[in-house]
Amino acid sequence: MGLVTRKKVFSIMALCAMVGLLLFPVVVSLPSLAIGADAADAEKKDEAKVEKGRDVYYKTEGIVVGAPAPKTVDGPKDYPRYNFESRVLLWFANQQHLYYGSFVLAVPIFCMVVEFMGVVTKDKALAKRYDQLAYDFIKISLTAYSLTAVLGGILIFTFLTLYPAFFGYLSSIFRPVMHIYALMFVAESGTLYIYYYGWDKMREGFLKWIHLSMSVILNVIGTLLMFLANSWIGFMMSPAGVDEQGRFLGNIWHVLHTALWNPLNLHRILGNMAFGGGVVAAYAAYKFLASKTDEDRAHYDWMGYIAMALGVAFLIPLPFAGYWLMREVYAYRQQMGITLMGGLLAWLFIIQATMIGILFLSTNYYLWQAMGRMRGAEKYQRYIKYLVFLLACGYLVFITPHTMVMTPAELKAMGGQQHPVLGNYGVMSAKNGGINVIITTTVLSFVWYMRGNKVSTVSWSKFGNIFMGCFFFFAYVNIIGLAIYGYYIPANVRVGLSVPQVATTLSCLFFMFALNSVMMKGAKQMGPIEWGKISARSQYALIMLATAFTWMMGLMGYIRSSVRLFWHVNEIMRDNSPWAYTHTVGFAANMISFNVLFFWISILFVFWLGSLAAKKAPAGAKADVPGSAAPQPAGSH
Amino acid sequence: MKALMSVGALVGAIALLLLVGMILDVVPSNTVRLVEGYMPIQMLLEVACFVVGFAGLSYMLSAMGMAVPRFWQGIGFWAFVLLYLKFRVYPPIPFSVRAMYGTVSLVAVFMWVSANEDDWKKFKQPIMNVLDAQSGANKMLRYVYLVLIPILVGFASFDAMKPKSEEPVELRTVHPAPPASTKVAGKTYTLQTSQNPYRVNPEGKFDQEYSNKLIVEQGMGRLMAPNANPWDEKNQGYLKYVREGGEIFFQNCHFCHGDNLNGRGLHAFAFNPIPANFTDPGTIAQLQETFIFWRVAKGGIGLPNEGFPWASVMPPWEQHLTVDEIWKVILFEYWHTGYYPRTWD
Repeated sequence: MGLVTRKKVFSIMALCAMVGLLLFPVVVSLPSLAIGADAADAEKKDEAKVEKGRDVYYKTEGIVVGAPAPKTVDGPKDYPRYNFESRVLLWFANQQHLYYGSFVLAVPIFCMVVEFMGVVTKDKALAKRYDQLAYDFIKISLTAYSLTAVLGGILIFTFLTLYPAFFGYLSSIFRPVMHIYALMFVAESGTLYIYYYGWDKMREGFLKWIHLSMSVILNVIGTLLMFLANSWIGFMMSPAGVDEQGRFLGNIWHVLHTALWNPLNLHRILGNMAFGGGVVAAYAAYKFLASKTDEDRAHYDWMGYIAMALGVAFLIPLPFAGYWLMREVYAYRQQMGITLMGGLLAWLFIIQATMIGILFLSTNYYLWQAMGRMRGAEKYQRYIKYLVFLLACGYLVFITPHTMVMTPAELKAMGGQQHPVLGNYGVMSAKNGGINVIITTTVLSFVWYMRGNKVSTVSWSKFGNIFMGCFFFFAYVNIIGLAIYGYYIPANVRVGLSVPQVATTLSCLFFMFALNSVMMKGAKQMGPIEWGKISARSQYALIMLATAFTWMMGLMGYIRSSVRLFWHVNEIMRDNSPWAYTHTVGFAANMISFNVLFFWISILFVFWLGSLAAKKAPAGAKADVPGSAAPQPAGSH
Repeated sequence: MKALMSVGALVGAIALLLLVGMILDVVPSNTVRLVEGYMPIQMLLEVACFVVGFAGLSYMLSAMGMAVPRFWQGIGFWAFVLLYLKFRVYPPIPFSVRAMYGTVSLVAVFMWVSANEDDWKKFKQPIMNVLDAQSGANKMLRYVYLVLIPILVGFASFDAMKPKSEEPVELRTVHPAPPASTKVAGKTYTLQTSQNPYRVNPEGKFDQEYSNKLIVEQGMGRLMAPNANPWDEKNQGYLKYVREGGEIFFQNCHFCHGDNLNGRGLHAFAFNPIPANFTDPGTIAQLQETFIFWRVAKGGIGLPNEGFPWASVMPPWEQHLTVDEIWKVILFEYWHTGYYPRTWD
């Protein structure tokens, strides 16, 4: 008893120490954050001596406290090189660091969610399985964490070696928060190691809650780290806190809080989660395909399903966050928006649309395959072809390019720039309709999956089914109707139409999931979910999902970066290296593919390392033999 | 259910006959007209009717004991999509887009035939039969494939590698990104914030809402808004400027951009690509007025490098028209097409 109390005291002390560690960098850096206040005092003392500048974004006046952005020239001083395109080397280092960074930021969030599910669930066996799953997740990410740090080092050295003038300038602007970033890493590493190595010691009771609290702290630190990293790219795209010459005006908050910072933050959090889910699902798929026993197959099938469900949960709002980001880009600089969506980079968005479509198609396909492990789901099989049709139509509209690739002869035969029929699919109004149809169909597939092996026993089940059918039918009518209506109204109103379209899709998601849960309460089970009894094709769909995520991240990172065209920092610091031009679509696609391939080869190595330290799952952690009444994971109830 | 499927089967049979007629050039593609204004959704509805029709046909044939094997259903449907895109939709769709659509259709067919284990087995059965070669016919087929597939792959590789004298494909940027500001007649205009000075209300103040109300209504049939006839001499302000813009348009622009502003003017087909079609929802309807101002003022030669290949022969109108005239022409273009310029508020 005394031992437990002492353990509790130590745990609370450890938790307080970590919170202190978290706040320490902020406390240390307060003097430098207050530089703006100092500057304000200085302003009062001696107005004649100070030079003032006007913030390029906030339009406020501030005292110049930094050097102007260097005017670089092509040569070994500003752009040293290795007889190779420096930009490509930096691209590679940046992308790999980002992939791993996203992965190690996303996985602890999963751990937190899954561990929490394990703590609150009443079913002991299921709780153990969740706990083991969370442990498996963090184990995978631990090796990746070291690799992330190594790649971060490589990235900094690449910057210092190949772009010293640019990196020097960026460091001078972000000087007040640079060391906070570094100290955050210390806090992140410390928390992660205590969290991982303390897993067994904190398995029960109050200590488990302490352990869970640590995962929250870990994720807070990780998220702040990402926000800081995002502020750099936000500054490069939409600088603020500096004057026209790029001189720092003393307010670090303005530098951080640029026009695109918040949209980038939201988009990246969701993107990381979806990506992390995809990678863990691919890991599970790989282990499933390599499994020798039914027990292993059942476990990895379940793991893949949970990871996929978590990833897709964050994938669904991702296009809306992306839409917001694009809207903010347009609002910040129309020029940037048109370069992205209607100009030089527009075709890359068609590739992006293709990738988004693949993500949703793979998800739907996996769910249909997953119905195969349920007795009773056969009743939905005959309707799948109609879902395929809806998905395909939405997808075709979504990927139709506004600017078509064609020969001059085809152009002439078409009689103009746009095709009179298909050209209409090339604009935003149609595309919003297309993607919302795809997402709504995915929600419908999920609803079918959740009720696959059940028969509702509530007295109003017939009414509920009719209501649900009508709800989905009118949702489609509304989405498609608004997409058509968008052609007949001003553009600023049309942009607003995305709100009711999204609201329709999200209504299907939340209301129909809720209604389905109520209808399926106490439902008659046609049979248990037979984990492990799923086709190999479904696992390839998971691998496809993960690969598409990886490819899309690489693509979108390239688009976001290249929209600055010949600027290091948009309209402030010009890129005067020999590589200040936009690559062809083909070269970019090859480079992205190489990055994807390298990431997957290296992550396979990480998986292999993880398997070397394989820890035997605690008794009861693995699924029961398929066919028996195995505990059902959340989401299948 | 049976009655529904019978109707579906009838629709499927008629639609198939029509499509076959179009493929064989017995029936012109525009027999069932694609109605302007409804075309995009009409195409989707047509394909939906085909799907319903095929489902009905399949059901009826099964009921008559003549079920079409799943393998041929899948292959047949994919072939139908390819033929529909090639022979039904007009004007012809560029190959690159048909290839994209064909690939998506192939994926969709795969998803359909392999959605569950039973269907997948049925679909694979003919392939497995040939590979197992238990009968003489299948053995023969297997040998044919063994010879034919490498030859086809060889020919395809040869065709892909051999130098071609065809015109290269172009990936043209329709809306080159505009500069942040443009200098016309000695004055600098910031594209993000500049406004058309003639979009004014009767009090002479800039009023986008007021002018939007007076444009041609965009309902089908393009009716003129009541009391909004620019050619009525009594109308002042915005409508007067529209009239003046119209006069400038018909003196300078309609030779290429056409009387109906659809890019099919007298000289249009001397150029490739033909001039911009303002009635298309993908052109001026997507853009700010200042973007059009920049394009009209600078013409083809004023396009930035990143807009390449811009392939535009529009003259730089700043050398022929005043700034005011350019703004008025733009006003007329929006009024005539019934579109609203993009705004950000």
